[in-house]
Amino acid sequence: MPTEGGLDRRLRRIEEIVASLDSDAVDLDEALALFEEGVGHLRHAQRILETAELRVEELIGAEGDEAREFEAPDQGDHDDGDRG
Amino acid sequence: MSDGTLDLFADRAPAQTGEPSSAAGAGTEHSEGLRPSRTPGPRVWTVRQVNRAVRLQLEQTLPQLWVAGEVTNFRRQRSGHCYFTLKDDVAQLRCVMFRREAARLPTDPREGMTVRVFGGLTLYEARGVYQLVAARLEAEGEGGMWKLAFDRLKRRLDAEGLTDAARKRGLPPFPGTVGIVTSPTGAALRDVIAVVARRAPWVRLLVRGTRVQGRGAGEAIAAAVSILASRDVDVILVARGGGTIEDLWGFNEEAVARAVASSPVPVVSGVGHETDVTICDLVADLRAATPSAAAEAAVPDRRAVVRTLDSLGTRLGKGLAGQARSRRWRLDQARDLLYRRGRRRVESGRNRLTRERLLLAGIMRKGIAHHRTRLARAAASMEALSPMSTLARGYAVPLDGRGRLLRTTADFPPALDFGLRVVDGRVSCTVADNPDRSPAASNQAGRVRRAD
Repeated sequence: MPTEGGLDRRLRRIEEIVASLDSDAVDLDEALALFEEGVGHLRHAQRILETAELRVEELIGAEGDEAREFEAPDQGDHDDGDRG
Repeated sequence: MSDGTLDLFADRAPAQTGEPSSAAGAGTEHSEGLRPSRTPGPRVWTVRQVNRAVRLQLEQTLPQLWVAGEVTNFRRQRSGHCYFTLKDDVAQLRCVMFRREAARLPTDPREGMTVRVFGGLTLYEARGVYQLVAARLEAEGEGGMWKLAFDRLKRRLDAEGLTDAARKRGLPPFPGTVGIVTSPTGAALRDVIAVVARRAPWVRLLVRGTRVQGRGAGEAIAAAVSILASRDVDVILVARGGGTIEDLWGFNEEAVARAVASSPVPVVSGVGHETDVTICDLVADLRAATPSAAAEAAVPDRRAVVRTLDSLGTRLGKGLAGQARSRRWRLDQARDLLYRRGRRRVESGRNRLTRERLLLAGIMRKGIAHHRTRLARAAASMEALSPMSTLARGYAVPLDGRGRLLRTTADFPPALDFGLRVVDGRVSCTVADNPDRSPAASNQAGRVRRAD
């Protein structure tokens, strides 16, 4: 599931808002509030795109219930064949 | 032990082969036997001695070798050991493959299948039969036993519907967390990280490292898929670089197929090169040719997201404008209608006019319904602040003839006429008696009140 306020969630919410605005089921004030909310999500989404850095975590332990930041091993130390 | 070879042809018991000779010397049947060992005559061997000597002869003179033939009567015992016979037109050879080696067989050979077996010859002393102890068994043709195992498993999975196109799920367009099952030290993982960092750096990559080849790889891969499937991931990648069919075998095991099929989120398989198709590929929701391609399929490109955002922004604006436009249009329509028809039929159509007016009122009412709600809410909060609500709870306010508030006993001289303000009106009252009254306080209170 996406993290709270993540890109996925925001994009989906904007889609919902656009769908509401395209229908006749909202009154004008509601439409205005939805529009403003949508613009807020758009701004946040753009900020996510501009500032994000990849996070890589590794699940360790027998049950994989512990996560730690992944550290890439040295080049060449691999056991899974050629580059795909 | 070349002496043992010579013993076969010497007319005496093999004295220096260790165990057999000492066993023979200590054996009761020998000491109490037909013939004491010191008696002259031909040397008599025990069966055990003969079998031991032949076994040693077989094992020492013939190196390990490949034997080709047809498999027949292949049986896998509960112990894990496998027994079978290799044959050609005219001859048969008994073979055994012990548990350790048999566990490496991808599947059991078919009856009559042409195979080649690598192993050493020996004699099973207890039965006096000689046999080939097989270390490896390979089928003729491309893929050999691997292909046979692959085809068998695929047929079973096909029959269960696990490879059906209808089962394939679409991938989430904007995944927040991507799980990846692969070797933590492999090139495949480096490739996936590079692709995701370039295309979708806002994504969180969750790695479950696992062995991807060798014994137990299938179980390990399956376990890793299940672990990630139980986490908050939106999609799972299973990735490994290229290799031989044997290297990739873990991805062809049933455990992997089951884990992938039961994952609650879509699985993308990127195993080996373009030409390698594994069972994992067939059961996965999407098969990518390589680990990099799997990563590209799993995450959107930043530029595509930017385009999506642009278009959503445009649609938001249009949506709002449309809302305003449709309201104005409806209002204009109603007004025009009222105006035109009203003027034309003012005499004969009073009723109609009324209806039009109602129509307009309805539209207006709809348009301002929310305002009214807000007004009502605002009124409710103002009400809470006014003394009216206190009066409604049963309190009353005494006021003198000029509307001034009477607060203390001093404000109530005997026989004073005053009014009592209650929630729904005013009541006239007269002070009958006031023993607590202090005239000094009255003046003070009156002054304070007036000063207000």
